[in-house]
Amino acid sequence: MRRILRGAAIPVAILLLWESGSRAGLLPMDTLSRPSDVAAAFAHALADGSIPLATWQTVQAALLGFAIAAATGVLAGVILGLSPVLERTVGPSIEALRPVPAVALTPLTLLLFGFGLRMEAAIVAFACVWPVLLVTVAAVRGIEPRLLEVAQALRLSFPSRLRKIILPAALGRVLVGLRVALSISLIVAVTVEIVMNPRGLGYGMIVASQSLKPDLMYAQLLWLGFLGWGLNAMLTRVFGRWHGAFGPGVQP
Amino acid sequence: MKRLLEASGAVLFAAGLLLLWQILAERELISPVFFPSPSRTLGELWHQVVQGLIWAPLVATGYRMFCGWALASLAGAAVGAAIGLSRAAREYLEPLLEFLRPLPASAVVPVAILFLGFSNAMTIAVIAFGAIWPVLLGSLHGFVSIEPQLADVAAALKLTRAQAFAKIAVPNALPDILAGARVGLAISLILAVVTEMQASQTGLGQNILLAQRSFRSPELYAGVVTLGIVGFAINHAIVVLERRLLRWRGAPA
Amino acid sequence: MRESPATVLSLEKVRVAFGGRPVLADISFEVAAGEFLCVVGPSGCGKTTLIRLLAGLLAPSGGEMLFEGRPLAGTSRDRAIVFQDYSKALLPWRTVAGNIALSLEACGVAEPERSRRIGALLAKMRLESAAERYPSQLSGGMQQRVQIARCLAQQPRLLLMDEPFGALDAITRQGLQDEIARLVAEQRTTVVFITHDLEEAIYLGDRVIVLATEPGRIAERIEVGIAKPRDQLETRENPRFLEHRHRLFGMLQGR
Repeated sequence: MRRILRGAAIPVAILLLWESGSRAGLLPMDTLSRPSDVAAAFAHALADGSIPLATWQTVQAALLGFAIAAATGVLAGVILGLSPVLERTVGPSIEALRPVPAVALTPLTLLLFGFGLRMEAAIVAFACVWPVLLVTVAAVRGIEPRLLEVAQALRLSFPSRLRKIILPAALGRVLVGLRVALSISLIVAVTVEIVMNPRGLGYGMIVASQSLKPDLMYAQLLWLGFLGWGLNAMLTRVFGRWHGAFGPGVQP
Repeated sequence: MKRLLEASGAVLFAAGLLLLWQILAERELISPVFFPSPSRTLGELWHQVVQGLIWAPLVATGYRMFCGWALASLAGAAVGAAIGLSRAAREYLEPLLEFLRPLPASAVVPVAILFLGFSNAMTIAVIAFGAIWPVLLGSLHGFVSIEPQLADVAAALKLTRAQAFAKIAVPNALPDILAGARVGLAISLILAVVTEMQASQTGLGQNILLAQRSFRSPELYAGVVTLGIVGFAINHAIVVLERRLLRWRGAPA
Repeated sequence: MRESPATVLSLEKVRVAFGGRPVLADISFEVAAGEFLCVVGPSGCGKTTLIRLLAGLLAPSGGEMLFEGRPLAGTSRDRAIVFQDYSKALLPWRTVAGNIALSLEACGVAEPERSRRIGALLAKMRLESAAERYPSQLSGGMQQRVQIARCLAQQPRLLLMDEPFGALDAITRQGLQDEIARLVAEQRTTVVFITHDLEEAIYLGDRVIVLATEPGRIAERIEVGIAKPRDQLETRENPRFLEHRHRLFGMLQGR
């Protein structure tokens, strides 16, 4: 109980100070809105559907990019993991591509796809594929060799081997990589929207800030924070405590 | 011998891909507007280096990136230490941190612009906000996970709190702090590019944006390659730093 | 309580209970200056609890403890403790010399005296060649020697050792037994030595206390009465040695 009280102490204090400071005229109103105004703006945007729509657009791009990255990453990871020779040949090229910040590719995807869902999903996919790929390779390489020999002895076809032995054996670690990729996907999607794509919550924030509607901007920011926190909390519940804040991927 | 073969295999593979791209672009089997040939990209990159065009944007981006990263690393290490060593601090701050951490750092760009305009200060503030998390979490982990036996040793030797902090807690946390700083540096690069693109500031990110707007794709690709090289170089720099500072983790007898 | 001027340690009816569960009960003994006291007992009899009590890392639930005539409360640099798990008790980021320096830093010894003492200890413990190596590069035996060196750097009046050789192989163990016997004899250091190895206890000790288990209490005390310096081969065939061994062996097995 004490823990809950202590934990809530600072956020509540901030809100109270913010609200009273604004009302007393101590804080600049053009940059900082009152919490009450922010709440009102949020309720309004919720009611007229703009926040739900923007949320769906962001989530859609994030999930699509994640799905592409997951499928590509796992498949490529399995192939490279099973063949050390292939991995050593292709590996350095992958290492050359990996340090490129996903966001730097936004103008390129804009050129290729124009504005919209596809460009955003493409960037999300690029950013998310690395943690999945690297973790899958490591997971497959770590599979007990006996199991692979069993597959050989039973003369299983590749798809069969994949389904019955390789994926189940590597599953635990691969899921960890997928978890990282999923949390990255939301962040990357919002980043692309902030930088240039006119859709989703990120773009909504830019519009709000440029039309001098700071309360709407803060409302969207807090909503975004809540989404991120909610996603993280859900993932933690499903996958357990995540201590590798510095795992194989990177938070763009 | 085997390693030499493997290394050449990797090089051949990469070269083969580039060659394929080159041929496809020259034969116009893929659009040279969207996929300029590697020779044009490298030529553009070479031109920028030779003409000295690359240095101003590189320095601009680098400056902001390092300032933000340094700020984030120092603050992150300090706050992580404070939270790691004080249970009360942890109880008060944890929920707030749990909420702030998953927030996309780029989402604070509009807020930062509102407060600080399109200035270097805005960029550095955004970078610091984004890059602080891995360092903070690393530092927290490093200070929380002190070997209990070492705590006994500190008690038996009657080390003062300051001595125990400096001689035991800090060296123990250093590997985790450095690992966090390495991730933080990558984040700093990304956020530097993001803010440049948003705020039209001189820099590598803006170069790419301008190139895209004028459909000068070799410049665009050259910019991406440059960023990739920068990303690789900074990561490698930290790896070297880690190896020097953490020599003691080396091979056992 | 009888107290001679040279009593370094005295315990009277000391007991320890964790959450109602008694771990040590009715522990009373004295240690004279320069004496080598061994405490032996099966696993779970509270040996480690006892040594932590003596180090001051733990407070008793009852009874009285005196160190050099004054109540024992909290840790002190005059009482050095050598832990069993040497790898976890050394600072992995410091060299051998650096680890020894830690004690001297804690004791406030400044340069150039500090370097001089480190050099002397390295020579005494035959660690000179390893001075600039890191713990991870050393064998178990050498790591334990480093820990002992660090404790000796404190110039303690009481040396506490918690099964220090338990994790080492037999040959290393015997070498270290003789080494520690020689070192403490030179300095006339008072030692309390915990072990589960009966022969080690009789070999090293002037006196041996046997602890029984559940709860830990003193089952037997003996005076070893064999002259020092002792020898790994001859002492272990000494009739008194065998007599003690037979007597205490049954005690350890029985309970």
